[in-house]
Parts: sequence; C-alpha cells; structure tokens
Amino acid sequence: MISLRRVWTVAERDIKMFLRYKFLLIMRAIWFVAQIALFGLVVNQMFRQDVQNAVGGSYFNYYTAGIIITMLYSTAVFIGYDIYEEADHGVIEYLLSVPVSRKELVLGRSIGGGLRSFLYVGPMMLFVLYIIGVSNVLQLLAAMSSLFLFTFGVAGFSITVAVSIKSSDRFDILMGVTDALIVRLSTTLYPVAYMPPYYKGLASVNPLSFAADLFRWGAGLESAALTPPLLATFGIVAFFSLFTFLGIVLHERRLEGGGWQ
Amino acid sequence: MAIKPILHVIQRDFSYFFRYKWWIAGMLSMNLADLFIMAVVYTNMVNPNITKEYVSYFVFFAPGLTITALFAAAFMIGREINMEIRREISHYMLSLPIRRFELALGRVLAGGVRGAIYMAPLLATTLGITYLYTGVFPNTLQLLTILLALFLVSIGTSGLSIALALSTTSFEKYITARGVVYYVLFFCSTVFYPMPLIRSALPQLALIAQYNPLSCGADLSRTFLLGNPPFDPLMLVDIALFALIFASLATLAYMKVTQK
Repeated sequence: MISLRRVWTVAERDIKMFLRYKFLLIMRAIWFVAQIALFGLVVNQMFRQDVQNAVGGSYFNYYTAGIIITMLYSTAVFIGYDIYEEADHGVIEYLLSVPVSRKELVLGRSIGGGLRSFLYVGPMMLFVLYIIGVSNVLQLLAAMSSLFLFTFGVAGFSITVAVSIKSSDRFDILMGVTDALIVRLSTTLYPVAYMPPYYKGLASVNPLSFAADLFRWGAGLESAALTPPLLATFGIVAFFSLFTFLGIVLHERRLEGGGWQ
Repeated sequence: MAIKPILHVIQRDFSYFFRYKWWIAGMLSMNLADLFIMAVVYTNMVNPNITKEYVSYFVFFAPGLTITALFAAAFMIGREINMEIRREISHYMLSLPIRRFELALGRVLAGGVRGAIYMAPLLATTLGITYLYTGVFPNTLQLLTILLALFLVSIGTSGLSIALALSTTSFEKYITARGVVYYVLFFCSTVFYPMPLIRSALPQLALIAQYNPLSCGADLSRTFLLGNPPFDPLMLVDIALFALIFASLATLAYMKVTQK
C-alpha cells in the first residue's frame, strides 16, 4: 500500500535539495534570457510572413512558449544527476534504509523532480504568459495540469535512464545527446509543417511537441500548426504513465547491489 | 624558452582529450543535430531575401557550425584546469622539470590544438556542403587562411576559458561564468544569422557582434567558401588580437595562480 504522506516526504526532500544548485539555476536563467532577448528577437525577423501567420501571428511568441517547455524538460532531468550524486556519496544506501518502500521512493522522486522544475520555471512561465497574453484561464489551467504530468514523466524518464546505465559519464552524455535530439525533433522551436517528411513522424510523437503545443493552446496562441489539445493530453498521459511505471520497476530492481560508476 | 617541454605539455593535454570519447561523441551528435535538423528546418522557414547571398540558410549556417564545434572543444581545457586547481593537481604540475612559462603556454596552445583537431571533420563536412551547393572550393591560400583563422580563434578561446577557470576555485561559479560568456558570444555573433539582421533586430549589440571573434571566424570562412561577406583584412587582425590578448592573459594568470 502506497502512503501519500511518505511519497510527499520524499518529494519535499527533493524540492529542498534543488536549491543547492543555485549556480546551475542562475545559469539556466541566463540561458533563458539569452534565448529570448538575443536569439529569439533576431530569429523572429528572419522568417517569412507565411511562417509568422502559420504559428499564430508571431514567431517570437511561438518560440518563447517552446523555450519554456525546454526549460521544464531540462530542469526535470536534474533528478537523474541527483541520483548519481547520492550514489557517489553513499546516500543511496541510507535512502534504502529509511522506512519508505521502493515504490514510494521513486514515485516521490518523480513528483519532487517534476514539482521543483515547475517551481523554478514558474516565474519565467508567468513572464512568457504576460508576453503572449492569456485569453482563456480555464484553457490555461487545463494545459497546466497536463504540463505537471509532463514534468513528472520527464523526471521518471531521467530516473529510468540513471538507474539503467549506472554510469555518470554515460548518463551525462546520453542526456546531452537526448536533449539535443529531443528538442530539435520537436515543435518547441518550429512547427511540424516546416519539417522535412523524415523528421515529421518523430516530431509528431515527441512528448516535448505535445507539451509545447498544449502550453501554446493554453496560452491562447491560435494556430493550425498546433497538435490538437486532446491528442497532446493523451500523449502526455501515456508518456507519464510509461516512464513512471518503468521508473518504479527499474528502481526496485536495480537500485540495490551497487555497481555505480 | 625551450620548445620541447611545450610540445610535451601539448602532447599530454592532447592525449587526455581522447579520454573523453563519450563527451566527443555527444558533442559531435549535438553539432550535427544543429546542422542536419535545426538548420534544415529553418531553411524551410527563412525569408529567402535574407539568405539570398548564401544560397540558403543551411549553406549559410554550415561554416558557423565549425566555429560552434571548435569553441566547445577549446573551452574544455578550462574545465580541466579549474578541476586541477581545486584538487591541487597543479602542485604536481609545478614539480615537473618544466619552466612555469613553458607549462602555462603549453596548456593554452594545447587547448587551441584540441579545438582545431576536433573541428577538422566538421570543417571537412562544411567544405563538402558548400562545394555541393555552390561548386566553389577554396584554393590553397584561401584554405590555409581559413585554417589559420580558425586555429587562432581556437587559441583565443582556450585562453579565455583558462582565464575564466583561474578566476574562481568554485566549479559552479566557473560553469555560470562560462554560460554567460558562451551565450553572449554565440548569440551576439554571425554564427546563426547574418550581420544585417542583427543590425536591424538588435542595433545596440551590432558593434559587439561585428567585432566578436566568432563572427569574424565564421564570416572569414564564408568569404572563401561562399563569396560573401567580402574579405576584410580587419577580420584577421581582430582574430589575431583576440588570440594574442587571451593567450597572454591566460599564460600570466596560470603562472600566477599555480604558484599560490
């Protein structure tokens, strides 16, 4: 039987741990500012008028919403690095000795990893929503609840990869490569309509595409280029369920026994 | 100053570079993803008037990719030196029978050589792409000028990363500073977009973008590979000054900090 209280205790610990990364958090914030104030502004003037129309009138708005999703993704992934940090300092053995079941532990970590990402990106998200201008609050709330699931799913994905490969170097590189591919092969930076056919398939089933298009829909960006909200929500629920399940199974099986590099 | 000890230091740092084969594989895939995914999609979206002098955005971006690659590879030496200072490995380095100046200069040059070697296959990719799209292949002198310019950018970047790494013993502060420098230098350059577009979108930063050594490196390559922008000897002077200033600064800082 899973105790919600114990799950929350684990999640709360991970949220507090996040504040230790103050310099990394500052760096991510600088990245956000540079992406929007430098790259976004220049690239916005580079695209044709039909592109601007296809993305809802302004590529800049489309782009800033996408950047928020890449921020959510990259900060939710941090939880995997925490696991390696803990393995390095022998904290995993301590965590295994506390009166919390493996299921509660991984569920708490997924939720904590997702929540802290949301808390961190929150102010930037508000800023972007201010730029775009929210037209329907209910629509936005519906999108936000799906985005919560998205961040929990990303945290579950990061935990799954971390406990599967048990090598910090390989994890670091694999997450770097995944980040490069998953962001570029999604609709965070550009709509599917302008991708060559060989990229369209992957971009259409990419969880980042679902999250980005859902956020844009929630913010009221009217565009035919977006994934339909129901389909995007279904995609995010499937992503969350898959990686939370995999995270729980692999965490239970592989956390013990050492072998961390 | 003897050349042999400097070559030993370069050889050591260079062989260390290939220990990071996972890092190299990861970086390479990221660089190629930028070119073969992002640039390909942007090509379908860009206003053709903006890139008409460069065939397409894909062709325009290809020389910029070389700069992205060499910058990342050359910057890595700073991370290592920051770690050596924190773990006091620098004390061991000082015990070697090599003069401090030679050690310091060797490390700066090693960073530059790493960047140049890592960038070589990407430069070959760029040459292939530009030849395929424009039918132009630079002559020997032009190719040597490109190689010299990129090597100088690499040395300057190595010096910049070492100077940054020595300014703090905190790894986190170093990473933060690196992030700021990285984003400002890249986004305020002509690596991703042409100069007229920067002048129109961010006129306040046009001057930085124009004299940014990354812009000069990318534009110099474009000059000989794509015929645009026109060749300006000031680009070479800019890159040479960048290399000279940061190589000297890093050498002096390394000598000073390792003796503390």
